[in-house]
Amino acid sequence: MKLNVDGLLVYFPYDYIYPEQFTYMLELKRSIDAKGHCVLEMPSGTGKTVSLLSLIVAYLRTNPVDVTKLVYCSRTVPELEKVIEELKALMKYYEQELGEQPTILGLALSSRKNLCIHPRVSKEPTGKEVDAGCQGLTASYIRTKHHYDSSIPLCSYFEAFDDNGRDAPIDPGVYNLDDLKDIGQERGWCPYFLARYTIMHANIVVYSYHYLLDPKIAELVSKDLPKTSVVVFDEAHNIDNVCIDSLSVNITRRTLDRGEGNLEYLKGSIERIKEVDENKLKREYQRLVEGLRLANEERETEAQLANPVLPDEILQEAVPGNIRNAEHFLNFLKRFLEYLKTRLRVQHVVQESPPSFLRDVYTKVCIERKPLRFCYERLHSLLRTLELNTAQDLSPLSLIANFATLVSTYGKGFTLIIEPFDDRAPTIPNPVLHFRCMDASVAIKPVFDRFQTVIITSGTLSPLDMYPKILDFRPVTMASFTMTLARTCICPLIVGRGNDQVTMTSKFETRQDIAVIRNYGNLLVDLTSIVPDGIVCFFTSYVYMETIVSKWYEQGIIDNVQKNKLLFIETQDTAETSVALHNYQKACENGRGAVLLSVARGKVSEGIDFDHHYGRAVVMFGVPYVYTQSRMLRARLEFLRDQYQIRENDFLTFDAMRHAAQCVGRAMRGKTDYGIMVFADKRFGRADKRGKLPKWIQEYLKDSVCNLTTDEAVQVSKKFLRQMAQPFKKEDQLGLSLLTLEQLETEEMQKRVERTAHVL
Amino acid sequence: MDEEQDKAYTWEGDYERTWEAIKEDEQGSLQSTVDDIIHRAKRRRFLDRPVNVRLGMMRHLFIILDMSKSMEEKDLKPTRLHSTIKLIESFIEEYYDQNPISQLGIITTSNMRAEKLTDLGGNPRRHINTLKKCKDKVCLKEPSLQNSLELALTSLRHMPGHASREVLIIMGSLTTCDPDNIHQTIDTMKSNNIRCSVIGLAAEVRICKKLCNVTNGTYGVILDETHYKELLMEHTLPPPATVNSESSLIKMGFPKHQIHTDKPAICVCHLDSKTSEGFGLGGYFCPQCHSKYCELPIECKCCGLTLVSAPHLARSFHHLFPLDEFTEISTTSLDESYSSYCEACQGRLSGQVVYLCPRCDKVFCLECEMFIQEALHSCPGCASTRPKQVRTS
Repeated sequence: MKLNVDGLLVYFPYDYIYPEQFTYMLELKRSIDAKGHCVLEMPSGTGKTVSLLSLIVAYLRTNPVDVTKLVYCSRTVPELEKVIEELKALMKYYEQELGEQPTILGLALSSRKNLCIHPRVSKEPTGKEVDAGCQGLTASYIRTKHHYDSSIPLCSYFEAFDDNGRDAPIDPGVYNLDDLKDIGQERGWCPYFLARYTIMHANIVVYSYHYLLDPKIAELVSKDLPKTSVVVFDEAHNIDNVCIDSLSVNITRRTLDRGEGNLEYLKGSIERIKEVDENKLKREYQRLVEGLRLANEERETEAQLANPVLPDEILQEAVPGNIRNAEHFLNFLKRFLEYLKTRLRVQHVVQESPPSFLRDVYTKVCIERKPLRFCYERLHSLLRTLELNTAQDLSPLSLIANFATLVSTYGKGFTLIIEPFDDRAPTIPNPVLHFRCMDASVAIKPVFDRFQTVIITSGTLSPLDMYPKILDFRPVTMASFTMTLARTCICPLIVGRGNDQVTMTSKFETRQDIAVIRNYGNLLVDLTSIVPDGIVCFFTSYVYMETIVSKWYEQGIIDNVQKNKLLFIETQDTAETSVALHNYQKACENGRGAVLLSVARGKVSEGIDFDHHYGRAVVMFGVPYVYTQSRMLRARLEFLRDQYQIRENDFLTFDAMRHAAQCVGRAMRGKTDYGIMVFADKRFGRADKRGKLPKWIQEYLKDSVCNLTTDEAVQVSKKFLRQMAQPFKKEDQLGLSLLTLEQLETEEMQKRVERTAHVL
Repeated sequence: MDEEQDKAYTWEGDYERTWEAIKEDEQGSLQSTVDDIIHRAKRRRFLDRPVNVRLGMMRHLFIILDMSKSMEEKDLKPTRLHSTIKLIESFIEEYYDQNPISQLGIITTSNMRAEKLTDLGGNPRRHINTLKKCKDKVCLKEPSLQNSLELALTSLRHMPGHASREVLIIMGSLTTCDPDNIHQTIDTMKSNNIRCSVIGLAAEVRICKKLCNVTNGTYGVILDETHYKELLMEHTLPPPATVNSESSLIKMGFPKHQIHTDKPAICVCHLDSKTSEGFGLGGYFCPQCHSKYCELPIECKCCGLTLVSAPHLARSFHHLFPLDEFTEISTTSLDESYSSYCEACQGRLSGQVVYLCPRCDKVFCLECEMFIQEALHSCPGCASTRPKQVRTS
């Protein structure tokens, strides 16, 4: 249908629209108009993606000057594929309405692992090996060598692309990963490089977060994106953690040992190259004297995205004299490495700030701050000069150089923690140096600064005002949308007491209490006897899950659960978990019914959907607070308090509630779906926790279902399940939660549509 | 939990929030929306009932009764099992009333096994008596959907092609414990043209829904006992014949009840039984081979002839020629020429809407209309007025 969204003609590929989709587009348009950033929360399964795409594509077409590109970032490959599918449907609709194909080029970009079509390299099992294999065939020095010695193999696909690919751009259309591979096969071009090249002039680019947030990758892939792009971060509820992880480094003793090996190897290569071609090293030296000025010029014209690893000052200066010479540089690195080794030889935990670390480096081994900052660039320059074939994995050394640059660049917002052993195994010495970013805004700042509109959206972003604070930006719109439903298909319950009236809580003081554990068990047993098909349970941590399960076993609760359903457990082993998941789904599929015990913040809680029968009920045992004893967390809390005036407790609760919402949200994936959400902890009933749940859950969390006993919860659920099992057809939704164009345009409906948004 | 806790008293076990049934519907609360949906579905079912569609009149139905642990729950009074058995008894009577030339059998499932309680047959009393004995049986462990379907299949497979084959499953449990891949069994049911319907007593189970969807059956989950009865009684109406069921002319015998005064004999249907049941002077005698039977309808065991009585056949007639749908008119828009009394009960029309028979143009109240449509199958207005002479030539 064709919609009029605040004066903009939007082609919407379906005959019906949800009211909240319309408001979502309205808010979206306002932010793009204002050229500002926005935070939008809309429940999953209400067609967020299609609303986003239809509006932005319409905007692209009508205002080709203001907005030139859409960059859509999501988390996983299947999610990327889903976006592309939606986009294809939209384009099909355009074609049908306009009678011609719209001149929009959209494509997905992923790693080489997913795109390579080279017969040998694409068979490699891991992403790293594919990358290495590819570089071994396509690196510039390999190709130069090939010029003299044709026995050195090259990748024919890359060569073909390099010869012709840049002159003949691919036709407008929408390409997913498989389509790109097909084109590659057909024309004999490398799909990966084709995609990397094409994103520069494509209208819509769909790729993973890391291509924008991880400075190392962003520099390669995304630096040339124009300022007039609209950037969307979908499923962005964990974006601060992604930012932090991309700037954090962990160094263990093993890393150092392997780094040492790398150094030896490099030394050998330098010796060899000296014998063959000494001039090469001299040329490099010359280049370094001239400095990284070239890179600097590019930045001034704003042609590229600023790389947070490489701050402005570095570009203006020449590489310091003491590391210009390749051998000197290696010695320099070796000294630094030895220093790190001595630091790891600690008996107690050390926490210090980057400046004090630098001072210590200076006094102990006479390394100054300045050369350290150039380590990362210098190492890469060296690797380029040496033209190594990448048989040797140089990542440990690269990691150390990266650390050196980071630690000497950022004085604020980072901390250094050296732990002599793991907290879980205090008897085994396993020293780790954590260099931890505290400030999520460092990594994402270039994105906000550069692009005119950045949209942060997800199904669970509550409380909305937290994200602008921790990411340090000023949004023009913040809105949360509720789900309009023809029937109440969410049943959130807070169970605070067992049948014996003992409070149920995972509070630290009482979590080992036998009565609490028994009550949790009885809740699960009762639920398994009334809920059909699948039940997913989330615990606060692996450790807690293990103790509870072993207690349940002693108490005979496990036996009782198994009378009703099969039991599966998520473990830290990925392979084991995926087998468990597979069998869990099978058990739900053929009517046996199953219970999956898993952990909030685990793999299951984030990426896997339990729609329809896969998750008729979700149980959240306890409030999923993060492990508060961790020093990294303490440091971050301190930082947030000092820097952004966020109280520790506020942040902890926020973090716990977003994970809880994420867990229970796994079960609701659309309006035809239904599910029970059991929050089994008394503390969920408190205003500070309840208020932090997404609006669309809060709406149905009435006072009468807070602080129930197990019995009461079972009765409510029974009734709910019976009602939801009644036949439910599309006609029942029409006019209430599903609108045709005529219905949408009525005045009364417009008023109701307005109400679906809670704008802050 | 040990055994003693399981057997709680009613006042201990069930905690009912009866006050929640009464709800204001101003706020669009849950209760009214769902009620509304159910009501609309009911009307739609009525309206959608197809006219002039081939119906499977000769039905062969197996009722699969869940006898697993979950049937001991007390959410239906006194227990799910007792309540179910009671309802099935009335269902059986109604079934034979509506489908006189059809047959029925009962299978129970418990302890992961299936057991045939009664074979396909045309005698309601036999089924009801056996069913009554079930009341005291213990409910054990889980049911097995697959085993019971397979068991029904072994009997239904051999039914003639023109007969409609059906399975109705009453499922209290939310799980099924099967020896093999149940999806294969479902496909076999489909290829054998067996229509499977399920009535769930607790919640929607995926596999049941799939079974019903694939085999063209209906799936219902009860809300309470009245709704349960409604869902069950829906199955008394013959379903539309599936496309691939054959149509063929059937040879039928219409034996009369006769009493032979010379010598008593045992009937063919009770030959195997050790009791004296079926031994006597009277009975129905097959017009072809003169075997004696004590009940109709039945298929002659000697010569294979279908034996029915004429009234039986006549009774199933109304399914083929259903009464015309009455038109719904609001009371206010009714003009003067119509009577303000219901044609059937002669009560004053007081409701919001009245119903008008399109043929005789008489008005009826809601209650009478329901009764006429559901039970009477003929319009009293039309029957009492002389039809206008319509010459057909």
